[in-house]
Amino acid sequence: MENVLLPNLAKIVRTEKMTAIERFLQAEVLDTKFAEVFDYKPGQFMEVSVMGVGEAPISICSIPTKKGLIDLCVRNVGRVTNALHYLDIGSLVGIRGPYGNGFPMEEMEGSNLLLVAGGLGVAPLRSVLQYALKNRAKYRDITVFYGIRTYDTMLFRDEFYNLLAEGDKLGCKFFLSYEDSNDKQCLSLEAEHSSRCMTGVVTKLFERIEVSPKDTYAIICGPPIMYKFVVRELTKGNVPPEKIYMTLERRMKCGIGKCGHCIVGDGTSIKYVCKDGPVFTYWDALHTKGMI
Amino acid sequence: MQYVKLPKENLDAFVENLKAYGKVYGPIKIGESHSFQEIKNSKEMDLDYTRTMIPPKKFFLKLKERIFIFDEEKGEYEETLEEGKTVVFGVHPCDINALKLMDKIYIDETPDKYYKMRRENAVIIGYSCHPDEYCFCQSLGTNYAMDGFDLFLHELKDGFFVRIGSDMGNTIASENSELIKEVKSSDIEEFREVERKREEEYTLELNIRGITDMLCLAYENDVWKEYADRCFGCGSCNIVCPTCRCYDVVDNVNLNLKSGERLRRLDSCMLRKHGLVAGGLNFRPTRIERLRNRFNCKGSLKEDLLNCVGCGRCTVYCPSEIDYVEVLKKVRGEL
Repeated sequence: MENVLLPNLAKIVRTEKMTAIERFLQAEVLDTKFAEVFDYKPGQFMEVSVMGVGEAPISICSIPTKKGLIDLCVRNVGRVTNALHYLDIGSLVGIRGPYGNGFPMEEMEGSNLLLVAGGLGVAPLRSVLQYALKNRAKYRDITVFYGIRTYDTMLFRDEFYNLLAEGDKLGCKFFLSYEDSNDKQCLSLEAEHSSRCMTGVVTKLFERIEVSPKDTYAIICGPPIMYKFVVRELTKGNVPPEKIYMTLERRMKCGIGKCGHCIVGDGTSIKYVCKDGPVFTYWDALHTKGMI
Repeated sequence: MQYVKLPKENLDAFVENLKAYGKVYGPIKIGESHSFQEIKNSKEMDLDYTRTMIPPKKFFLKLKERIFIFDEEKGEYEETLEEGKTVVFGVHPCDINALKLMDKIYIDETPDKYYKMRRENAVIIGYSCHPDEYCFCQSLGTNYAMDGFDLFLHELKDGFFVRIGSDMGNTIASENSELIKEVKSSDIEEFREVERKREEEYTLELNIRGITDMLCLAYENDVWKEYADRCFGCGSCNIVCPTCRCYDVVDNVNLNLKSGERLRRLDSCMLRKHGLVAGGLNFRPTRIERLRNRFNCKGSLKEDLLNCVGCGRCTVYCPSEIDYVEVLKKVRGEL
């Protein structure tokens, strides 16, 4: 019988310091048999173990283009993530998963996609964006709102630079907001791309583009405080609650709905974020107390 | 269902023979409370017990257990499974129903190898009980085990009316045929009478109709603050609850800093760390949210079962004397 709690080994094959606290890691599954069956969807996450330190849930920020390869974007906030920041190329980590429901990419086919990311929330949405751009013909307009605090905190800079400059050619309208209105680098970005870059929080970007409520799916990920403000803008634009998708952060120790830490809700609707989510609709949040 | 009778004078021999199926555990009295412990003979047991402090979940989801060892130099994870057969004698209907609920989560959904293996290697022998003032299993319909056991013994005057609930139970019964008798019509009469009287013994009642809605509607109610002010946040209610199953995971490293073990241990949603994520954000930062979460969890459905079986342990063992039924009556606006 399979032991779902036992990690598989993976080797760190690429790393990149992205910001002062975020690091990009690419890991490759060692066991070729496991690599063959290993598949994942945008929005799913892995339980990543560092031997002797522990295990933590980390969103996958890529799509499975090469068998057994995953991209992770790790913020150094705890013991495991700190250890992940100091691993060299060639180091071994343990991985379990993928876990969680992921985004319903098939359901959203034929519609406009509006991705709203704040800070590190861009990591899981990067997988959505990669998927949608790879299957570009299946979706209509793809719009991305990315909110950062300062230039220094911007993740995947090269990729998003490219989208800022060439996004329309690549099939996606990319908008960037930054909170620090004195940030020189951001100001020069704004000077260069004034229609796509502005100061303010991410919801400010809704002033720049009209959301068509009929055919749009919104996909949100960011710090917990961000959700209700983004949802307010979307509902103002009449996007129905069941078409607003968001992915939630919780303490997810097991990833399989057993350890209980990610529980949310009330008597009528109890959800385990790791198993029933982490992707939920705003409708789920409306009838499950405490979700956002 | 097959029914047989075990005469009282044969109980000792029967329990002795159970050792053939695994280590036999039964309820023994320790101080003022009871505990399932390994027994050498039936006389050590106190079958006239109401509830053990720790429910039989401890045999399947251990309070603390190693799940694997790791070695960085060898680059491997190695699972550690203890095999062993267990016979748990004297399990009450509420606890049997609680195990059925645990099975839904730990076996029917993504199976947990450790739990599943132990459940498969265990014989459950149920035993009839009489309620005290804290039992409200009748309100939850869990005061009778319709299945979920191998054998179930109902006490009659001169013996036990035995229900055979599984193939394993049938094997045990047939391998002990010299100790058991056929059921006579007078035994059936007596069994019916005992069960009828038992139903009348309940004094505590909890109205569970619409309980999920009542909890949802009381989400912002002052009742949570009132009881949170009294709650020590000690987690006793979780440890003694037969359906509480949250666990925490920790890695212990050996002195070489290269190898070690991963442990899991029962956790408690009443502890501050339960909703805490790395970076310091806590999704249930105060006792109010934690207490409310526990009652909403218990009062929610897992398929068609509530996450509470009415055993009364959380009330009995709460150091702050928070009465579970009383809280839910306040939630409903009855108090």
